[in-house]
Amino acid sequence: MKKLLILLFIGLGAMTLNAQTENKPLEGKVTIEVDGLACPFCAYGLEKNLKQIEGVESIDINIDEGSVLLGIAEGKQISENVVLKKIKAAGFTPGTIKRGSDG
Amino acid sequence: MDNNFFGSHNGLHKLFNRLVMVRFKTILLPTIFSVLLSLEMAAQGPPIFTDTPIMLGVQGRGVRTFGNIISKENANIYSQILVVPYNITSKWQVDAVVPYVSISPEGASSSSGLGDLKLFTKYQLYQKDGKGTTLRSLIKLTETFPTGNSSKMPALGSGAYQTTLSLVNGYVTTKYGIYGEVGYTISGNGLRDNFIYNIAVGFPLLPQKYPPNQLNLFLELNGNYVFDNVGNNLYLSPGIQYIAGRKLLFESGLQIPMADAAPNNQQANYILRIGTRILIF
Repeated sequence: MKKLLILLFIGLGAMTLNAQTENKPLEGKVTIEVDGLACPFCAYGLEKNLKQIEGVESIDINIDEGSVLLGIAEGKQISENVVLKKIKAAGFTPGTIKRGSDG
Repeated sequence: MDNNFFGSHNGLHKLFNRLVMVRFKTILLPTIFSVLLSLEMAAQGPPIFTDTPIMLGVQGRGVRTFGNIISKENANIYSQILVVPYNITSKWQVDAVVPYVSISPEGASSSSGLGDLKLFTKYQLYQKDGKGTTLRSLIKLTETFPTGNSSKMPALGSGAYQTTLSLVNGYVTTKYGIYGEVGYTISGNGLRDNFIYNIAVGFPLLPQKYPPNQLNLFLELNGNYVFDNVGNNLYLSPGIQYIAGRKLLFESGLQIPMADAAPNNQQANYILRIGTRILIF
């Protein structure tokens, strides 16, 4: 029983750690690959959804690259999961997130 | 006076229509194909006559209105259609289609008013996205209500409930788009069932960017086979479309009959569509 509790504790700890690494806060400039971005006129919903996130200052959609450059207001942080959910809700498939001004 | 004038020139008018169509099929269409093939193609918009499985932006959420000018051998018909969509989720949409119809038959009085109202719903079954590509498939259920007056002549509606189940597919890349739709319509009140088949290809003429500024060309085949030995209707439909920014689209297409199941003196000369889509929601 004691071993089981230890295992359970370790398991929960690992899950929490995993969730934390997957949901690192985003700040500054962030480039997100968006799959399915095949037509400029489809992208309005993506822009609209991302605009709803508090702290997002600018959105630059690059159709050729299939990516979105998000500018996050200085001193603000936004959740990676929130961004990914907004992209999915707009009807697209989110890909890799690159942090930093050079994307 | 006007009636006499048009009446005396009716034969000439028909001859002119036929000549225009022959010229279109033999000269203009091959030219359009050649231009399309020689272009450095870069994305396209929603097809003008064929449905799309993409329910994003003006392609899915835009309120759409268009006028159809239908020139037939025995009548001229004008219909103004309003399509209002509502996306429940990014994968599920409901739409209402409200038509206003005006029919001017040769040698008879014209009639105009509300046509048959349609409600339809689309549900996305499949989506596979890649970098600059998307493959989507949806199922569409359409119900037509006999709201158009079918008791007066000429009739503005079919006088029957009709249910259509369709499968709509599309593969869109940043260089081209291919769309296809097949469906089966079950009709009531003695009307024949029919099988619908549409295919469309679209090419952009301008570099893609966001917000969009796009000029797109389309070539579509739109058909329906009416059962019980009635026959096949098939149209070749070239079209052009301009997308002006995030929320506004203008489009026009011409449908040229390749096969017409209507009786000889009631066949279509052409159908011209001019319309717009505006993103409101």
